[in-house]
Amino acid sequence: MGIALSDLAKGGVAAKTKSRTRLISLCVNGEWHEVAVKPRDMLVDVIRDAIGLTGTKASCESGICGACTVLVEDRPVLGCITLAVECEGKQVQTVEGLADGEKLSGIQEAFLDQGAVQCGFCTSGMLMSATALLRRNPKPSRQDINKALEGNLCRCTGYNSIVDAVLQASAQGGVKAVMK
Amino acid sequence: MILFDFDYERAATLEDAVAILARLQGEARALAGGTDLLPSMRMENIKPRLLVSLGAIEPNEPEMLADGSIRIDALSRLASLENSSLLRDKVPMLAESAHVVGSNQIRQMGTLGGNLCQETRCMQLDQKHDYQFVAPCFKRGGDCCYPFPRNKRDICWSVYMSDIAPALIALDAEVEILGEAGRRRIHVEELFTGNGLKPLKLGQAELLRAVFIPQRPRGYTWGFHKSTVRGGLEFGMAVIAVALQIAEDGMTCADARIVIGAVREAPVRLAAAERSLKGVVLDEKRLAQVAAEASREANPLPHHGFTKRHLMDNIRVYLRRTMAQAIGRARSPER
Ligand SMILES: Cc1cc2nc3c(=O)[nH]c(=O)nc-3n(C[C@H](O)[C@H](O)[C@H](O)COP(=O)(O)OP(=O)(O)OC[C@H]3O[C@@H](n4cnc5c(N)ncnc54)[C@H](O)[C@@H]3O)c2cc1C
Ligand code: SF4
Ligand code: FES
Ligand code: FES
Repeated sequence: MGIALSDLAKGGVAAKTKSRTRLISLCVNGEWHEVAVKPRDMLVDVIRDAIGLTGTKASCESGICGACTVLVEDRPVLGCITLAVECEGKQVQTVEGLADGEKLSGIQEAFLDQGAVQCGFCTSGMLMSATALLRRNPKPSRQDINKALEGNLCRCTGYNSIVDAVLQASAQGGVKAVMK
Repeated sequence: MILFDFDYERAATLEDAVAILARLQGEARALAGGTDLLPSMRMENIKPRLLVSLGAIEPNEPEMLADGSIRIDALSRLASLENSSLLRDKVPMLAESAHVVGSNQIRQMGTLGGNLCQETRCMQLDQKHDYQFVAPCFKRGGDCCYPFPRNKRDICWSVYMSDIAPALIALDAEVEILGEAGRRRIHVEELFTGNGLKPLKLGQAELLRAVFIPQRPRGYTWGFHKSTVRGGLEFGMAVIAVALQIAEDGMTCADARIVIGAVREAPVRLAAAERSLKGVVLDEKRLAQVAAEASREANPLPHHGFTKRHLMDNIRVYLRRTMAQAIGRARSPER
């Protein structure tokens, strides 16, 4: 990576301050990457455009929809309002890091079983929020799930299938796979 | 994506951050969780030359001091407040007010200091302006005001929407401020100017360091309510924080603090309502009467599509219920 992302995106905006491009390393899904970033480059853009992992989506880019949710040091954060430089030296997990090779994680299987994926745009963010929830609270109630996913908007499913999928993945019984 | 360039420095300590801010003389901003600042920069409402990251400074855990007061680091993430067993046990109103902010991701990223120092909000202000072919309003250095077209006087009626500030004021909390000259301590209430153009009484190189909550008096009880349309991922249309002190007889109100948030340029303390509660027996009729008067005293600004009438009705109904909730809590055995 010779040039920083924002050089590509600069378009016609005249820069007031010339900021320094710096090399940072961050560990994404267990693999260290060294990338050149400007202070204004957002984590989601670096993950997608510099590292090439496009599973993480950018949608509202203002912290509302949750499509860009990734785990930084195990906490679900919004990649569209996180500066990449802030993640220097940190552990980042994206949706690509959930499966073990071809074998999907429990929460991913549950999303398939419940038909919790329609257009799929919200899905990677949903999976990351759900993964963070289940790590912290392996047996969440429906209410816990609603609260944990309140920052992830879905325009397709109506949410019930997503909540069912998280319940199914938490192995508490009571939800049947509908897509098998 | 932010379309202008800025520089970035990481402060090792809060003192460092203050020194950097002082050096840049108003052209730098502190970056805590970034959940308020970065969206504002994306909309180009704020265009600093440099961001001073506070991200490398580890906050201390909330702790109880010898005098029974509680110290909370201003850099604490909201998630660590809502999940703190000390806060949930000793000041549940504060934990609850942190719990209702934004979404889980916002609470994982956002800090207490950033929450208190967030910008005031207005529907016209909080959108991207580069494709909005309109002249800037007063708050953006222009000479008009969109929601209040008859406002010609360089006044800004944007609203301050922190959910946590009303709870802290009801708890009579103080903030410790660090500046070049050292530390000073003021009541949270005194942090606000009441002017939408410059909502905070903080110098260019001043940062919040900690919040102190005094020991709750005997007979203390609380109620908290955030009115929203959807019930999640939403700024409040009104936020209500009530702290009451019930006398020994279990019926009379010995003291009251009532604060309404998200309806004006600063949280509003309802002094007249507080006075009319003091020394009286709190029955349903009394609460209804105080709540009706209080909704007028709060004098809400229409905001985010809610009319003044609607907000007054909302405050009247939910303040009554929140006070009743507080009293119910005092009478039930498990607080
Ligand atoms: C989608 C969305 C929903 C939201 N919903 C809510 C909500 O429901 N309720 C609510 O209250 N807020 C809400 N917010 C606003 C904001 O996210 C929170 O208030 C959050 O707590 C801000 O903290 P932060 O650390 O991210 O602040 P930052 O963005 O880092 O900082 C905000 C401002 O405070 C200054 N600052 C930061 N730390 C300090 C300090 N220690 N001392 C002095 N100044 C400081 C910064 O320079 C900046 O000007 C929402 C934001 C988004 C994007
Ligand atoms: S209320 Fe303030 S922010 Fe909103 S348009 Fe008027 S001057 Fe601008
Ligand atoms: S793209 Fe980040 S929250 Fe919508
Ligand atoms: S599946 Fe389309 S947005 Fe959720």
